[in-house]
Amino acid sequence: MAGTTSPEKMSRKQLKKLRMQGLSREERGYLRRKAAADKVWPLFRFVILFGLSFVILYPLIYMVSCAFRDRSDMSDPTVMWITRHHTIDVIKDTMKAMNFWETLRTTLLLNIGCALVQVISCAITGYGFARFDFRGKKLLFGIVIMMILVPMQVIALPLYTQFRFFLGRFNLIDTMWAMYLPAMTGNGIRSGLMILIFRQFFRGLPKEIEDAAYIDGCGPLRTFIQVMVPNAASAFLTVFLFSVVWYWNDYYVSMTFFVHTETVATMLTNLDSRLGAALFNNATIQIDEREKIVWKEAGCLLSIAPLIIMYIFLQKYFTEGIERSGLVA
Amino acid sequence: MDENKIEQIELTASEEAEKLRKDRPSGRRRSLLSYQRRKGLYGLCFISLWLVGTIVFFLIPLGKSLAYSFCDVKIKQGGKDLTWKGLANYDYAVNADKKFVDNLEATLLETLWKTPLIIIFSLFIAVILNQKFRGRALARAIFFLPVIIATGPVFKVISGDMDSTGNIGGEQFSTMFSTDLVGQLMQFLGIYGLSDKMGLIISTVADNIFGIVWNSGIQILLFLAALQNIPPSAREAAQIEGATSWEFFWKITFPYVSPFILANLIFTIIDTFTNPMNTVMKRILDKKNEWAFGEASAMAWIYFLIIIAAIGIITFIVNKFIYYEVE
Repeated sequence: MAGTTSPEKMSRKQLKKLRMQGLSREERGYLRRKAAADKVWPLFRFVILFGLSFVILYPLIYMVSCAFRDRSDMSDPTVMWITRHHTIDVIKDTMKAMNFWETLRTTLLLNIGCALVQVISCAITGYGFARFDFRGKKLLFGIVIMMILVPMQVIALPLYTQFRFFLGRFNLIDTMWAMYLPAMTGNGIRSGLMILIFRQFFRGLPKEIEDAAYIDGCGPLRTFIQVMVPNAASAFLTVFLFSVVWYWNDYYVSMTFFVHTETVATMLTNLDSRLGAALFNNATIQIDEREKIVWKEAGCLLSIAPLIIMYIFLQKYFTEGIERSGLVA
Repeated sequence: MDENKIEQIELTASEEAEKLRKDRPSGRRRSLLSYQRRKGLYGLCFISLWLVGTIVFFLIPLGKSLAYSFCDVKIKQGGKDLTWKGLANYDYAVNADKKFVDNLEATLLETLWKTPLIIIFSLFIAVILNQKFRGRALARAIFFLPVIIATGPVFKVISGDMDSTGNIGGEQFSTMFSTDLVGQLMQFLGIYGLSDKMGLIISTVADNIFGIVWNSGIQILLFLAALQNIPPSAREAAQIEGATSWEFFWKITFPYVSPFILANLIFTIIDTFTNPMNTVMKRILDKKNEWAFGEASAMAWIYFLIIIAAIGIITFIVNKFIYYEVE
């Protein structure tokens, strides 16, 4: 009873009651509704996020689950997620069929090299569009927009002949030049989008730092390399990562220009026939279509594993980079 | 002697200054002009590499494909044979090739209802992922995962595209989401009054949750970036005024992200239209594989013009509703 006199000794409930009395009816209603929403919303949010995360992760979990099981488990109705017979034979078989290490080497060589030169060429072009005025700039920028809009499929065939008889005599089909040359000149996979990102990004940087460099007698190229590039490091990294992902995932362009050179993506696209040739060529073995799933899922797992590993370590740059780079403008 | 020398030097200096002053008006203008022209030249230097590449690897092939679309293309040893056909290829694509028209209709219809859903869904998820809660980093990592997978051949397998890979695992997976759960739920709730069409729409949407979730990675990323640009002062002001979160969303969040809705709309449309998995693209590729390059090019151009028209119309409409922050 002594508590009613000194506020320190009052319980929190009583204090709250006292405070509520001082408020008007509307205010009280607002607070009550807010408190209710604050309690219910986190639960609701959790349910939504959990459910949708499941939709996203399901194929991946399924992949892992299948890749490590024996093929007989596919026909076993009691096996859903956890296998009865753990094995890495399937992974080994698939690696053999895909010629995995050799393919991985080619892919990485192509991927990282192309992504690197493409980022550099697109950055230079984007800078040119962002900071300089010249005649026909609008028209040229219109071409950049066209590059985003025109699907690769429209120009694939003329491009093929272009490479087949490059400069009249060279045959670049099935050489890495067919991928490197467009990347070097800012015409690789999704270059238009990258030029646009870099243009927006460089426009967002303050002009003063450049002017300072000019006054100090820096030429435009040196200004670009020494002043602008260090400022754009995070944008470079993000665009580079996306470029690596797009080159990794590309199968259309590579299948158009390559005949014998195989990347991981083209290998996976042809996995079915390849498996047939490498593993099931023996007429005595009869394998159910359903049981073939284990090899296919193993192939999927193998081909995205490098990407996933990269994503786990560099996830920050994927998600935060975009926020800082020029797309936000 | 020394003084004399200094005087002389001073004299010549002042003379020179005089000379300079006389020359200056015209001289300065010239240097200004040439400075601007020089800057323009530098700009051209910066884009020259791209320009060369674009002419060789983009504009010439584009022009060629346009030419093919008006011609009868025959492949022969060591080259192609083009004979002028006029609009016959286009006529064929629109009037004779029933498959192409059907696919085109289906793709347009699908884009029409899928795009708004993707936009709404990704905005919703972005708002949630922008809130503070435990495990947010993990949730973000999961929701951006489709960004790195959805453009590749693996997605073809897991989205149940069985024709190309013969994958039954995909089929098994997609049936999991296409059971008639929604229909049963509605029956359970006693909703019979809805017309069949309405029920059909709802159940197709529910069946396509997988596609929507997997195709909105980049959109979520963009919206999240937009949400983080909302100044904290706006949030504080709204809180002091006692805005509910519903009001906050419509009066503060929505206007701030509205420019990004346009960007996302355009991105989504381009993404679905240029996706090699969509049926029109497949039809064009089939034609190409049949060596009917003229028809294939004509179809590609019709399709391309429709994309441009769609984006133009949407930009025009959406631009009227966008709120741009005046700086």
